[in-house]
Amino acid sequence: MTQKNNQINARQSKQIAGALALASCGLFATSGHATELSKKADDWKVDAALMYYGEQDRVQAVEAIGTAQKAFGDDSVLDLKLVVDSLTGASASGAVAQSSSQTFTRPSGNGQYSVAAGDTPLDDTFHDTRVQANVGWSEVLTPDWKLNVGAYGSKEFDYMSMGLNASIERGFNKDNTTLFLGTAYSFDVVDPVGGRPVDLSSMAVRDNFASEEAYRSAFDATRQSGSDNKQTADVMLGITQVLSQRWLLQANYGLSSVNGYLTDPYKVLSVVDNNGITQDLLYESRPDSRLKHSFYVMTKGALDAGVVDFSYRYNTDDWDLKSHTLETHYRYYFTGNFYGQLHLRYYQQTAANFYQPFLMADTPLPEFASADYRIGDMSAYTIGIKFGHRLSGGHEMSYRLEYYQQDPKNNGTTIPGELQNFDLFPTQKAITAQFSYSF
Amino acid sequence: MLKPALVAVTLIIGLSGCSNLGVQPWEKGQLARSDMALDSEKLDLALDDHIYFSKEGSSGGRAFAGGGCGCN
Amino acid sequence: MKKIWLLLSLMAAGVQAAPSLDHQVFNAQNQAVSLSEFKGKVVYVDFWASWCGPCRKSFPWMNEIQTKYQDQGLAVVAINLDTDNELAQEFLKQVPANFSVRFNPEGDVARSFDLLGMPSSFMFNRQGQLVQHHVGFYADKAAEYEQELVNLLKE
Repeated sequence: MTQKNNQINARQSKQIAGALALASCGLFATSGHATELSKKADDWKVDAALMYYGEQDRVQAVEAIGTAQKAFGDDSVLDLKLVVDSLTGASASGAVAQSSSQTFTRPSGNGQYSVAAGDTPLDDTFHDTRVQANVGWSEVLTPDWKLNVGAYGSKEFDYMSMGLNASIERGFNKDNTTLFLGTAYSFDVVDPVGGRPVDLSSMAVRDNFASEEAYRSAFDATRQSGSDNKQTADVMLGITQVLSQRWLLQANYGLSSVNGYLTDPYKVLSVVDNNGITQDLLYESRPDSRLKHSFYVMTKGALDAGVVDFSYRYNTDDWDLKSHTLETHYRYYFTGNFYGQLHLRYYQQTAANFYQPFLMADTPLPEFASADYRIGDMSAYTIGIKFGHRLSGGHEMSYRLEYYQQDPKNNGTTIPGELQNFDLFPTQKAITAQFSYSF
Repeated sequence: MLKPALVAVTLIIGLSGCSNLGVQPWEKGQLARSDMALDSEKLDLALDDHIYFSKEGSSGGRAFAGGGCGCN
Repeated sequence: MKKIWLLLSLMAAGVQAAPSLDHQVFNAQNQAVSLSEFKGKVVYVDFWASWCGPCRKSFPWMNEIQTKYQDQGLAVVAINLDTDNELAQEFLKQVPANFSVRFNPEGDVARSFDLLGMPSSFMFNRQGQLVQHHVGFYADKAAEYEQELVNLLKE
């Protein structure tokens, strides 16, 4: 008898739990909407975030970003954005590790730094603060046509960039289909510390010269006077299609033409002999133009208690650098106002055709060469989690933690002599921590 | 080199011909959710793009047009 | 012959595939009622949903014109299209309506009116004929909408 009662109780309590779950789902649906609705449409909408980015033993950065959006009437929206970031720490110079310690001249030509035997050479000169401001305006021209225009400027110690963009959107098929055509132009001025190195010139190191004057004139011979610039023209064509009441699909094609100074003035290549011993250090040299294509497909779905998106991107360019990117975000609402989110990303690229981890002393110099691992063969992945609270009055607060790992790979170069003892393609690990608030 | 452009443009324009896809205006309640907006996490995306742009050899691809409530 | 009778009787029952007042909707008590109850008045039929931003903006304006012109024979009828009635009730709690609110969770009436966007509004004259149609609600066009109604009221 008692056993039977227990069974009934168990069944009843299961039903009650089910009913409660149902009720709370209903509650969640309403309260979620209620929070969204209680926001006044004509106020400023502000999103702000503070992010820390830290690489193991390398670059540390802090970035603050704020956007403010205000609607004017039913047709116009103003968008403002301000970004400030600050960078310190060391980054790979492109030179290879050696079995004895190595000495490098700082980019400014003033002073030098040493790298211990067996260590991947890192240049620790890098400190920079960057400020960027964007302004955008979007205007609904007719119920079907929308125009967006924008401008931005950014400034850091050795770099300045400014740009304009415009895009037009057209809705079709009861706004289930949106075609998008955008164009952007940017103009950058590159003014590196110590001047731009002469392409593939040999790094002058003070220790190899008898006098300071002799060193100075040798260093100056590796530099070009004045700044240089870079122009980027972008065109993007996209389509967003509503697939169902819960799913939409976006497909974009982007064409980007970059012209001007594309070399990284702080990167070098080691010239090694057949035993893998460094004979010389040369400043890198890249072509002065690059034509890039990007193909992007994304689908996003509204789930009962969450949101999910998947995207795939393929990039290719006339440097022969090709990449595949797979990415997904999955959000789950634990309650109507509290969610957790998972972010996964996988990236894989093949090297630019002039990438070489080092140069061989007995081989003629190529026209272009770079040992920058960022344009070499590489795969990378990201795992991230995020938690967010929707607060009253349409406010939202979120925390995000991500792990990013890059695994550079040999692009098929035979490794000579003692270089085989070193990890020429070291894994790089980074974490990001972010706090965001919107109101 | 502009062949990929031709293929993509043809594909995108072609896709826009699938006009029987989609839902009625009053069936967009879920698509109107703020978390379904394509720019719902634009700050995160901007910060991510900045990191990947400075650490990888390729970049770009995203756009924020379309989707949403389809109101007005 | 039988078929024609069937067709005619179907039409009489109010199965119309065009914007008209011969459609069945639900009232707040969840009873099926016909829009033809407003025949003889100038009728402003508005389709809305809780999740639609411009719909929210249109409510104060609809309250205003209802108050201003009801004595002259205007009826504002706002048909809600939420599938979940609770969301509509939540909205109405926040943005109270002093005009007639009806419900069409199935969306069949919206389909007959062939809505192009949300909100959508339809103006009928005193003879029950459709004379005007707007997609969306734009605050800066409100005076224009009002004038159209005033003209109909004068007819």
